[in-house]
Amino acid sequence: MDPLTLFIVLLRDSALSLGGLGSLPLLRQDLVATGMVTDAQLVQALAIGRLSTGPNGLWTVSLGYQLAGPLGAVMALAASSLPPLLILPATAVARRWLLSVSFAGLVRGAALATAGLLCATGVALLWPSGDAPSWWQVVTGVAAAGLTYQGRLHPGIVVIGGALIGVLLAR
Amino acid sequence: MRELAKIFIAVGTQSVGGGSSTLLLLRRFLVERRRLLSERDFTEAWVLCQLSPGIHLVALAGLLGQRIAGWRGVVVAVSGMMVPAAIITAIMTAAYGVIADQPIARAALAGMAPATGGMTLGLAFILVRGARRHGLRAVVDFALVAVAFAVLLVTTLSSLLVIVSGAMFGAMFLGRERPTSPEGAAE
Repeated sequence: MDPLTLFIVLLRDSALSLGGLGSLPLLRQDLVATGMVTDAQLVQALAIGRLSTGPNGLWTVSLGYQLAGPLGAVMALAASSLPPLLILPATAVARRWLLSVSFAGLVRGAALATAGLLCATGVALLWPSGDAPSWWQVVTGVAAAGLTYQGRLHPGIVVIGGALIGVLLAR
Repeated sequence: MRELAKIFIAVGTQSVGGGSSTLLLLRRFLVERRRLLSERDFTEAWVLCQLSPGIHLVALAGLLGQRIAGWRGVVVAVSGMMVPAAIITAIMTAAYGVIADQPIARAALAGMAPATGGMTLGLAFILVRGARRHGLRAVVDFALVAVAFAVLLVTTLSSLLVIVSGAMFGAMFLGRERPTSPEGAAE
């Protein structure tokens, strides 16, 4: 994939989302639906993002590397670092408005819509091959959702646990 | 400035999995150990970063860096936290690419897929968790989530349209309190 196109897509989707995983539904629609990325590549990037250091939003760097090598990783890094910094001039110019109830409502509405989109994306990622899931994949997905919601177990351990279960049961 | 760079490089390379682990390290280094910021400054930056687009932790690093050392602080804080972590992420991706076609890697991916899918669902549930406090208004919150879910699952409408519509709906009808979920914000 052309690194500049990748940068533009990642920048746009990052700028229009909330949180490190908020861009996932947008990127899946832009890249998977158009055949540029497979769900398996997306899963790989998400898993590496959880296992790597730093913000888990860096999963897009893994995706960028898969699509366009080191230059793709650089483009993804820039595209994911720039939009959040809009908060700096915004707080300088319109701090009072940012803390108003109407802006809070705007953010909450976007967050709830993102939650719905993430639910649909999470369901689609449970079995990216499109085949009917095995019983153990369903159990793993439900357990991962519960553990993430509780927040007691580190996300990296959940990913490694899923990988180990796959090695034991999928071969 | 060198001290600031060391702190953010340490946070970027020592926090695994992002979210609360990164947030805790930032607070430990900047507020508790080095006392470069007050608890109040840190909390205020955390509240503001939740309002930013994209990765909230990048916004937090930018706000904290600016508070400590102006615009140079922004560059040092964000690049210190992001660049080493991005290099590690790229190396891990390259390493996985070498073994991706091996049967054991394929089997691991078959297990990681439901795990990451489930984690995505879990994160979505966390984003909705705050709705419980709203009493009857929670019905509106859950309805918005359900509509967004259904639109993506059964139509070909753009996700972007869903987010923009949700934001407009929220500005008109949900503007009563700020989002308070630290888990969602820290992602």
